[in-house]
Amino acid sequence: MTDPTPPAPAGRPALAPRWVPGRLRGPVGNRHALAGVVFVALALFPAIRPHDTYRQTVLLLAFLLAIEASSWNIISGYAGYISLGHGAFLGLGAYTAGIVATRLDVHPLLIAPLGGVVAVVAAVLLGLVVLRSRGHAFVIITIALLFATQVLVVNLRSLTGGSDGITLPLPSWPAEFQNIPFYYLFLGLLGLTVLLSGWIRRTRFGTGLLAIRDDEGKAAAIGVHTTRYKVLAYACSAFFIGVAGSVYAYFLTFLNPLGAFSILTSVTIVLAVLVGGRGSLYGPVLGAFVVQIGSEQATVYGGSSQSRVLIFGIALVAVVLFLPAGAVPTAAAWWHRRHPATVEYIDQAGALARGQLARPDRTTPTGTDPAVDPAVDPAVDPEAAPARAAGQPRLVVRDRAPQAEPQRRALLEISGLTKAFGGLVAVDGADLTVRRGTVTGLIGPNGSGKTTLFNLVGGALRADAGEIRFDGRRIDRLRPWQRGHLGIGRTFQLTRLFKSMTVLENVVAPLPDARWRALLSGAVSGPEAARARDLLDFVGLGRFAGQPAGSLSYGQQKLVELAQALMLDPRLVLLDEPAGGVNPSLVARLVEIVRDLNAQGVTFLVVEHNIPMVLELCDPVVVFARGRVIAEGRPELIRRDPAVLDAYLGEDWRPPAEPADPEPAEPKGVR
Amino acid sequence: MIEFVQAVLLGLLIGGVYALMSSGLTLIFGVLGIVNVAQGAFLVLAAMLTWWLWHSTGIDPLLAALLLTPVMFGFGWLLYRTAIVRVRGMPASMSVLLTFGLALTIEGILNVTAGNRFRSATPSYFDESFRVGALNLPKPQVFGFLAATAVLAALYLILTRTWTGRAIRACAQNPSGAALVGVAATGTAALAFALGTATTGVGGSIMSVLYPFFPASHYDWISRLLGIIVLGGMGSMPGALVGSLVLGLAETLTATYGSLQWSTLVFYAVIVVVLLVRPQGLFGARLREDALP
Repeated sequence: MTDPTPPAPAGRPALAPRWVPGRLRGPVGNRHALAGVVFVALALFPAIRPHDTYRQTVLLLAFLLAIEASSWNIISGYAGYISLGHGAFLGLGAYTAGIVATRLDVHPLLIAPLGGVVAVVAAVLLGLVVLRSRGHAFVIITIALLFATQVLVVNLRSLTGGSDGITLPLPSWPAEFQNIPFYYLFLGLLGLTVLLSGWIRRTRFGTGLLAIRDDEGKAAAIGVHTTRYKVLAYACSAFFIGVAGSVYAYFLTFLNPLGAFSILTSVTIVLAVLVGGRGSLYGPVLGAFVVQIGSEQATVYGGSSQSRVLIFGIALVAVVLFLPAGAVPTAAAWWHRRHPATVEYIDQAGALARGQLARPDRTTPTGTDPAVDPAVDPAVDPEAAPARAAGQPRLVVRDRAPQAEPQRRALLEISGLTKAFGGLVAVDGADLTVRRGTVTGLIGPNGSGKTTLFNLVGGALRADAGEIRFDGRRIDRLRPWQRGHLGIGRTFQLTRLFKSMTVLENVVAPLPDARWRALLSGAVSGPEAARARDLLDFVGLGRFAGQPAGSLSYGQQKLVELAQALMLDPRLVLLDEPAGGVNPSLVARLVEIVRDLNAQGVTFLVVEHNIPMVLELCDPVVVFARGRVIAEGRPELIRRDPAVLDAYLGEDWRPPAEPADPEPAEPKGVR
Repeated sequence: MIEFVQAVLLGLLIGGVYALMSSGLTLIFGVLGIVNVAQGAFLVLAAMLTWWLWHSTGIDPLLAALLLTPVMFGFGWLLYRTAIVRVRGMPASMSVLLTFGLALTIEGILNVTAGNRFRSATPSYFDESFRVGALNLPKPQVFGFLAATAVLAALYLILTRTWTGRAIRACAQNPSGAALVGVAATGTAALAFALGTATTGVGGSIMSVLYPFFPASHYDWISRLLGIIVLGGMGSMPGALVGSLVLGLAETLTATYGSLQWSTLVFYAVIVVVLLVRPQGLFGARLREDALP
């Protein structure tokens, strides 16, 4: 492979690097073109060598494996949920064709789509059971699926013929065509599978799947309906295997349970994807060719098929240990190391240059533009107005709440909230109200339960008792993404960006509502991506849209995470220690951004240990200790509150100059 | 009625054996966070070695476990040090794939060296029974149950009464905390994996007497064991015990009142129901998200 596009000249103008979707520089840059050429060459092969039945058959089996591998890649590569029993869908498709064709005397190929449907139904039913929760149960259930189906097929003799199997009619075309029709069928199905896989990767559905793979809890917190995503991915990964299974049944003309539900089918799928590269588009296809042809050679030259299990096993272990990323990604990484992209160093001035990135306001796709919110009560945040100087890029906050309502009404009401971890009561009957339009500060000693409180509000944890109301609606039983859709965004104490995605993809990933259309909108172009760019510009990081998220500094990651939360069009943003580990100039930026957003009607609840920042930014300030609120009030009062001093400095500590004010002004001490 | 009592007793005896077999799997998951898909293959390997020892020397298969346990311990330790340790810190899926590859490799080696046929160790007592009144308790089941209980008790004592055991449990709960107080994480993890593998020494020798096996039997076994620990709550030892008894009972009751061929499906049905109703299993706990590593 030679390099058709030389790397960009070093002296490129320092414009914001536009991230070109799906295109990397170098030989991989033309991978779609290359794939097209290979596809055409494969399509021409039977015309050139019409009588080379052996090669045609080897190739069509490779196509079949590539269909399986590309499909498997959707659930196990993109979403990271390993399925070890994916061969079951091939068997289901095959048996669907076999049963229907022999019972109803229908041509097996006409049933092929039904084979896909059966596989999808099985995947959805199983997915709904097992994918509601996170983690390891999935891998287990997929093995179980394979063996349970096998047992069922053996035992349901009246339907499946049991161990005797099913014999299908012979192909209906003239014998001199041999396997050529199958060749084209599998090749066509492969093309469709790859198109589906590539399309998924370019939608927000695909970004969501990668988000789930990287950090499922975080994905849920940004509005990704993880169950739906996973079930959908599982269904997508089953469909074409099911269709191919029906065709395969016709190709074999004989089905039996042991062959159709052999674990070796699943093993070759796994091996093919691992060899080629999990999570990449063409890796699984390439891997399928390597594995199928290799296994063919092994059978021809390597003696008995007994040793195939051994060869597959050793190959799998070797690939996991020595080539964990797979051939295509490893080759791409090697190429990029040899030809590094021009790195744009991120200087302090550049990172702080939000003001200079001025650009005309872009109206949002929904067309509403409540950017300037006249209803903000200046008394709530007197310093908000100057931040809205002319010429600055303004964030376009999409309208979700009627702006006319009174600003001081409660937005978030927490009452009697309790959460215990074993014997430790982290949140102990907490009552807290966050009023609309405020930047409420939440301070308290370490271990006082602030982050747990956030997790309860965000939905990562479920409370033992008490209730949470958001805008008057009870939310404590809702799933995290539902809370995100209502308008609660959050950032994390330690940033949790999706490291395998670019900055832009990170910001596009959040879903502000549960509509299916949003799920399938483009992740790299289109209105949502444009909005994500706006948000990145707003936090001053528009230039880094195409960088991997992990390459940013910690403080910048915090800003990206904020942009991510803003993508939800939140009415309430929970910031967990936004200034922790961030240098002072970025803290100043952060304060400015929070004020700016607040002026546009976004309410904030901020956990922070940087007391000067809290006192400057927040009003009111709530003090949390031992899992409950011990004081609440204006920042200057909080600073003198004896209860607060006790909590921070110990029960017996007294200010040296004057004894504690006997009458704590205003705060509702709850001890 | 007698039939029912008989079935329940048999179910409990089988459940005890399952408990031993699944204890290693849940221990490895609890400490290392790895679903060891090769655990079934370890069992079959140990069963094959037992069969071979019994066949060539005539040693009692259950006594052969005394020999096999240290062998499997060493095997597990070696596997951890050479292979498993390399996928620590990688996404959990890599360890699943690695252990899956190990399972296939073991299956392949057994296929090539021992051939693809059913085997079963048949010591003199294998078709004898204890008669208690009207009840009929097969001797191999009783001996297997006793051996399993003894090993489980030993495992419990090791985990609770020795420094090593406490270190293992510490690593299970908080690896970085354990490292801070002087527990060498890698060494402890290797020990835990080796200990989990060592349980298959006894488990496999029981298997060789109770269940005919062949190289590919390990898929069936890993499905059962995984079903048990999903039911009990992954990583929970008491969960594995209770899950084993429940599934042992369910299996024998189905075989007694339903049919033998459907009894294996009971496992899968139980898994599905458990995951629907209580995804974390009987004893599994949901942890604080921010405290996870």
